[in-house]
Amino acid sequence: MTISRTSAAGSTPTAGTTAAALPPSESVAQQTWQAFRRNPLGLASAAVLILLILVAAGAGLIADYPSGYGEDVLAGPSAAHWFGTDDLGRDVFAQVVWGTRVSIVVGLAASVLAIVIGVLVGVAAAYFRYADALLGVIVDLSLSLPVLPLMILVAALAGPSVSTLVVVIALFSWPEVARVVRSQGLAVVPMPYVSAARVIGGSHLWIIRKHVLPGVAPVIAVSVVLTTSRAVLSEAGLSFLGLGDPNSWSWGAILHQAQRSGSLATAWWTTLFPSLAILLLVVATTLLAVAYNDARNPRTR
Amino acid sequence: MRRTTRTLAMAVGLLSIGLVTACSPSDPDAGGGAGSAERLTIGTTADVINYNPLVGNSRTDTWVTNLMYPRLMGMGLDGTRTPYLGTEWAYAPDGKSAKVTLRDDFTWTDGEKVTADDVVFTIKAIAAEKIGVVAGLIPAFQEATALSPTEVEFTLSEPDGTFLENVGFWMPIVPEHVFSKVGKVAEFANDADWVSAGPYQLTSVERGQRYVLKRVANYPLVDGGPKTAELVFRVFPDVNTEALALRNGEIDLIANALPPALAKTLEGDSKLKLVKVPSLGWAHMQYNLARKPLDKLEVRQALAAAVDYEAIRRVALQGSAVSSNSSVLTPTLKQWQDPSATEYAYDPARAKQLLTGAGFTDGNGDGLFDGLSLRMIYDQADPNIAKWAQLVRDSSKEAGIDIKLEGLERNTYLAKTKERDFDIYAGSWAIMENPPANLTLAFKCDGFINYANACDPALDKLIDESRSHLDQPSQKTAIQAAAKIISDQVYDNVLYVEEFTFAHSAKWSNFLVQPSELLSIVNPQSLAQATTD
Repeated sequence: MTISRTSAAGSTPTAGTTAAALPPSESVAQQTWQAFRRNPLGLASAAVLILLILVAAGAGLIADYPSGYGEDVLAGPSAAHWFGTDDLGRDVFAQVVWGTRVSIVVGLAASVLAIVIGVLVGVAAAYFRYADALLGVIVDLSLSLPVLPLMILVAALAGPSVSTLVVVIALFSWPEVARVVRSQGLAVVPMPYVSAARVIGGSHLWIIRKHVLPGVAPVIAVSVVLTTSRAVLSEAGLSFLGLGDPNSWSWGAILHQAQRSGSLATAWWTTLFPSLAILLLVVATTLLAVAYNDARNPRTR
Repeated sequence: MRRTTRTLAMAVGLLSIGLVTACSPSDPDAGGGAGSAERLTIGTTADVINYNPLVGNSRTDTWVTNLMYPRLMGMGLDGTRTPYLGTEWAYAPDGKSAKVTLRDDFTWTDGEKVTADDVVFTIKAIAAEKIGVVAGLIPAFQEATALSPTEVEFTLSEPDGTFLENVGFWMPIVPEHVFSKVGKVAEFANDADWVSAGPYQLTSVERGQRYVLKRVANYPLVDGGPKTAELVFRVFPDVNTEALALRNGEIDLIANALPPALAKTLEGDSKLKLVKVPSLGWAHMQYNLARKPLDKLEVRQALAAAVDYEAIRRVALQGSAVSSNSSVLTPTLKQWQDPSATEYAYDPARAKQLLTGAGFTDGNGDGLFDGLSLRMIYDQADPNIAKWAQLVRDSSKEAGIDIKLEGLERNTYLAKTKERDFDIYAGSWAIMENPPANLTLAFKCDGFINYANACDPALDKLIDESRSHLDQPSQKTAIQAAAKIISDQVYDNVLYVEEFTFAHSAKWSNFLVQPSELLSIVNPQSLAQATTD
């Protein structure tokens, strides 16, 4: 998971006068892109993710919002209903399309929130050595919590809504980010250019902003992708357990309704398609993260 | 890379929900299950929480303890009382006392006779310790005396025409010689060495797995004793897995009512038989009158006009429900029903008109009235309500009313209901078979389950008047007038009366259908007389 020092240092071309001595930033990005382009799995994953994001953004153009009821209850896939209908006769294809929006929004929002908390804690732990022990204990403690039961408890107490889901998922996802960022930060902080920045009288905030953060940026990029996919899974899990927002469609919510209606065993289309969508997103994000990490790291390039 | 593997594993795990649905667990009962008259295996989705019949109130609690503890009266399909342990019952002419005559051929499993003393002990314990629902149903009870081993007399503080029916059906009789030695009856767990007097006796329990009951040969209500030697309740995670087990022949009967969608898919299976059972309750929405603007009649009328009742019954319930004509006197209770009742019409235009008349406007032109966003709570685990709640939301939107659904986990839902923390309550009553008693609890100002927070002196007076009569025909006039007020004022919006579907293996027959989910075909008489081909 760790990125080599070379690459970490290479990503700080903005550090004032030393910039001329370092390779220009384009070259790092270009080298990464060159390596990434050679990985078909990575490209395919990126294409799938872009497709899913397009579907999420243009849901209204693809299918009508699933509401009301239809006369064909639990009809199998057909030309009229590509993915069949659910127990109220609503189109499962439309549900999956509109579910993409909520699933991705929850995934991204929870991931961004988790990344912000995780990066703050991780960088603070790496930079301020005296805070490391305390923050380390907090992170370890959070990592050892039984996450799913706690998520269920909090979501049940706070009541079902999209914002509750985002906060709950973020609250239980940041420790992993913090740990990864801290370990990368520990490699960056002792670097000579950080010491140099300190010697010339840079404030802590300035050093963190200009030197430490760019140094840990690659792991943040990977974390964003992986945390998003985990958040989408958590959202699906919570919604499947009935703790999702009943006023919006998500992939987990479709599964939940299928399970509750008792049609799980007979109407396979109500569960297969949302499950495939989840699988597609999670596999694509995971492969993308792996491909990016490999392309970014000169040792695996 | 470990995280990657785990994420992938999670994804595959979640996908398997869709693909594998439910693998049937290995079956320790195999070989002795279906087909053998020696054992009838019943599927349920929950454990017995409480073996004390006076305290337990979950479905599985009731199914199991009903097989062990008799009641004074049973119930016919239309909610009327039938003889059980009691053979005859009547009020004294002044209504201040009532007498029940008992059968003399019931015995406890330890050999003692079931006598009037057991009945006297049971009702006194309930009244003294205020145990369960029964205590709330018998406010007029003062004293009980055993006139002879087969005769009990109850003394009442005032005439109460609901007393006998309530005590007769709702109170399980427990053995005095066991329960009197345990200290506080309400705290008695009764979880071993059961002494019972039903057709079956509980003999062994494996929590989360199975409950085994053995036949009581001298049970008097079935000629020659119960037909099947052993009953087994098996616990399943949900109704989907129960249905698979029934199809595979692992179980003979599903005790839970089937969700309509599942019932439909089982219809064509020749190895199964589906049984229709009428509900004694109703599904409804109640508007919280303590909150603005729901205190305005026009707003409640508008909400009632924004519900597509027909679509709910036809699509969400798959036709297994009947209209109650928006009355709390449902068609199941034929002797109470008011033929002049009519259902609220589904008419979004009229709803809009009513709201405009009440002063609501749509200033921002989004199609929704401004400042009219209502929270509707329901139990998200209830398959039917969770379905029609969505239909109500969507049809209300057409009438310009924004309803936010709050499908809650059961305990949160119960807590919010208790605190009346909602604008609209969506739920259902299981058994409301005695209107004078039920309307007291549900609609009088201080009613225990008055979820609408309705407080209408005229309504209270009618309900009290009906209770003061001792026979049903005289109670009926006042109760019908009360039901009309409830409907006109939209204190309750009754959507439908469900017709439950139960499934059993076609190898079994001779079940006895009783109304409601609690009795259905899992009632003691039915299980005792069922036979295989």
